[in-house]
Amino acid sequence: MNIKNVFVSLSIVGLIFSCSDDDAPTAIVPSTSYEDGILITHEGQFSGGFGTVSYVSNDFTTVENNIFSNVNNRTLGTVAQSMAINGDLAYIVINVSNQIEVVNKNTFESVATINTGLSNPRFMTISNGKGYVTNWGDFTPADDDYVAVIDLATNAVVSTISCSYLPEELIEINNKVYVATGVFDSGNKVDVINTTTDTLEQTITVGNSPNSLQLDSDGDLWVLSSENLVEIDTTTDLILQTIDFGGAFAFPSDLNFDNGSFYIYDSGSVFKMDEASNIIPTTPEFTNVNFYDMRVRNGLLYGLDARDFASNGTLQVYDLTSNTEIQTFTLGVIPGGVYFND
Amino acid sequence: MKRRLYISMLLAVCNFYIANAQLDSIQKLDEIVLSDAKLKRFASGFKITTITDSVIQKSSWSLTDLLRFQSNIYFKENGYGMVSSPSFRGTNASQTAVVWNGININSQLNGQLDFNTINSYNYDSVEIRSGGGSVQYGSGAIGGSVHLSNDLRFEKHADHRLQLAYGSFDSKNLTYGVSAGNARWSVDVGGSYIESENDYKFLGTDKINENGQFENLSFNLNGGFIISDNNVLKLYHQSFSGDRNFSGTLLAPSKSGYEDRTHRSMLEWNYFHDNITSKFKLVHLFEEFKYFENKQLDDFTFGRVNSFIGNYNLNIKLTEATELRGIVEASIFKGDGDSFGMPSREALSATILWRHQVTDKWIYGFNLRTDYTSDFESPVVFSADTKYQLTDWYSITLNGSRNFRVPTFNDLYWNPGGNLELQPERSYQVDLGQQFTYKFFDLKINGYYIDTEDMIQWLPNATGVFSPLNVDAVKSFGGEFELLAKQTFGEHQVNLNAMYSYTISENKATEEQLIYVPFHKANFNVSYAFKKFEGFYQHSYYGEVSIIGGDLEGYTVGNLGVAYKYRLSPKLDSKLQFTINNIYNNAYQNVAFRPMPNRNFLTQLTLKF
Repeated sequence: MNIKNVFVSLSIVGLIFSCSDDDAPTAIVPSTSYEDGILITHEGQFSGGFGTVSYVSNDFTTVENNIFSNVNNRTLGTVAQSMAINGDLAYIVINVSNQIEVVNKNTFESVATINTGLSNPRFMTISNGKGYVTNWGDFTPADDDYVAVIDLATNAVVSTISCSYLPEELIEINNKVYVATGVFDSGNKVDVINTTTDTLEQTITVGNSPNSLQLDSDGDLWVLSSENLVEIDTTTDLILQTIDFGGAFAFPSDLNFDNGSFYIYDSGSVFKMDEASNIIPTTPEFTNVNFYDMRVRNGLLYGLDARDFASNGTLQVYDLTSNTEIQTFTLGVIPGGVYFND
Repeated sequence: MKRRLYISMLLAVCNFYIANAQLDSIQKLDEIVLSDAKLKRFASGFKITTITDSVIQKSSWSLTDLLRFQSNIYFKENGYGMVSSPSFRGTNASQTAVVWNGININSQLNGQLDFNTINSYNYDSVEIRSGGGSVQYGSGAIGGSVHLSNDLRFEKHADHRLQLAYGSFDSKNLTYGVSAGNARWSVDVGGSYIESENDYKFLGTDKINENGQFENLSFNLNGGFIISDNNVLKLYHQSFSGDRNFSGTLLAPSKSGYEDRTHRSMLEWNYFHDNITSKFKLVHLFEEFKYFENKQLDDFTFGRVNSFIGNYNLNIKLTEATELRGIVEASIFKGDGDSFGMPSREALSATILWRHQVTDKWIYGFNLRTDYTSDFESPVVFSADTKYQLTDWYSITLNGSRNFRVPTFNDLYWNPGGNLELQPERSYQVDLGQQFTYKFFDLKINGYYIDTEDMIQWLPNATGVFSPLNVDAVKSFGGEFELLAKQTFGEHQVNLNAMYSYTISENKATEEQLIYVPFHKANFNVSYAFKKFEGFYQHSYYGEVSIIGGDLEGYTVGNLGVAYKYRLSPKLDSKLQFTINNIYNNAYQNVAFRPMPNRNFLTQLTLKF
């Protein structure tokens, strides 16, 4: 996810100025607290743009865009790719700026900026009291990709672990971090990192371009790729089953797990599959949406529509018992990640 | 059907022209000396602003630097010396055609021309033709066109010009040119080398422009040979090789690099007979870029296009007052690149230009063009223009045209996403001008309206892949003032040129101003000369622009220069010029988060012998 835009921008140097227009943000007095709500990261434009973060309260009564700049009076760097939350802190991974902004997740005041040791950082997770950040390095070379290990006390990169080409999302369980690697048909590996020793323990072959990871109720890892869904036992790291799509999905993405069910987004539709099932769902829960990313929790689906990637995007909230849209909010430019701040 | 109609129209006209009318010597001279005489002869109702070589040589090397103070065009520059694209009358980067000696040289890859890959020292003049010009100059001439011209001198001469410059940020320039000839032949050879560390301060921060180094080498060769009274052979050539690192922004560092190479060659045979001028041109254009994500590594992506153009031009002076020109042009474009394989495209166009000087005071013209291309259907385009001289000091011009921009190789063939279903962007334009000329001043006031539909925009499709579609519609309108004043008091000479433009350019669906189109832009240049001394001041004001997700503040920039001319020997003239750019040391950006240079200095020495 979130890389199609990067790819186009990277390649089409000359299309930087393709025309579009946009709403000017209105000045807002920042709230004092961003608790009990969701935080949405926005990539912003790839070339010379800036990322933003929005806040929407759980009761949907408060919405504030640009919360980082409202609080800190400066702009977030270029392409706010993702965020990780640990304790009171939120770590915003800024892809093009090669930075991580560390903020207090409730006040959004800046705590630190990590700006050494990162190269094209993508996603972050926490394991064993340390931060793990996937880094592409340069796009083309396949041998400069790594996972950076961050000491959360000093906010410094303390070591790097070489990994498979183009590491993306990662997920932690039992002092292990599973890293999905490979995009644009260029990889099909999940790397397993032991976070006690900070070494790459093994590499599991999954489907083509694995794009999202989830843990089910038994603690098994599910890997969604463009061709299949793979279930991995996180104790033995063996593949338990592979559910082939056989062409049923064009571009499946955004695997979510909620209340015993998986949710998958594909080409404008949302599909649901029971965790005990091994049959690919063919009837969508609902359709005619355009999600760049989505998150499901407690029966609600939060979908982000990045629209034309140049004007303000929207958040659409769906009630999954009735499969109806219950809320919609206008956010910033290229909303790309939903995070819960309880 | 249409094709046959136009060709037979052309033939019919050729066969039954009315004799008697003869080319006058001025007209013939224009055809020989100028590379693109139709810019002068078939544009009476258009505003054309000419920048002469003396102004070009006062400026620093790039076409961007020249035009940012000498035109109403807004430039979006990714940091000084980096990729620079124009917004002309509120249109986008690929809606300004750049014309080299009569040939449209916008990139076949992205439809634009990077104004920092043109060294203006290579040209004798730069003309800015405001308003739609697709009939005469093809794809992209929607907002207007910028013409780079080399003239040939057929008189006995041998002039050398050597220019050396050194300035802040370790900027160096070495330019040499020789022009020689006599009544039969003329030749112009020149080369220019530019280099800069370009490591200026990002004012207001502790950062500098770390990855902005650039260097480029350009070469030009232009020549003409008058074989007989009836036959003239001309050759034009221009090469450019540039190597740049791409500057980072205030928010993100950069380690990327970019190389571009262009070669442009044109061989032209002119034949004159009674009232007929016939021109046959063969043109080769080559463009290539290499983009290095990390300049330290060998990995790069590239694109290149070879264009072969054959052009035949037949001009008939029917009577003393009427003239007809027919143009047939055939082109083949062959591309090659990492992202689109090896596509090729063919195009054929037929154009008719009509000009009628009805009375001393009234002239009008009518132009029609049709294109046939291998991948899509181009619209029939036309243009009509007129000029009426009401009094000695007041004239009115009016022109209206239909214009187009064809999809580029990127739009059509990009993998993934390229869309072979695309159609050209279509635009209608009307422009009304008034000109007041009185003794020492010349004032032009223009108002225009441009309506463009089917604009190509890259959007994610249902599967999330970006793909171009003919979706956008934009209307642009505005007003322009241009004042030229010149006065001599004894040995004191004062020149003033001032411009202001008000531009509204809205997306029709959202009714919001497009990004990077300022409502207000103004600049003025004033120069003063006394004997051997010369001084000039340039000032630009840019209003606020909207950007994606916000606004970018307006700014002003001023440059001050002084020069001293000294004759070192009877055959050696020198001129020493010292320029302070951004004299107020203002922090400014014309693209968000990409600061432009702080106050800087440039010393130029020019020797003529």
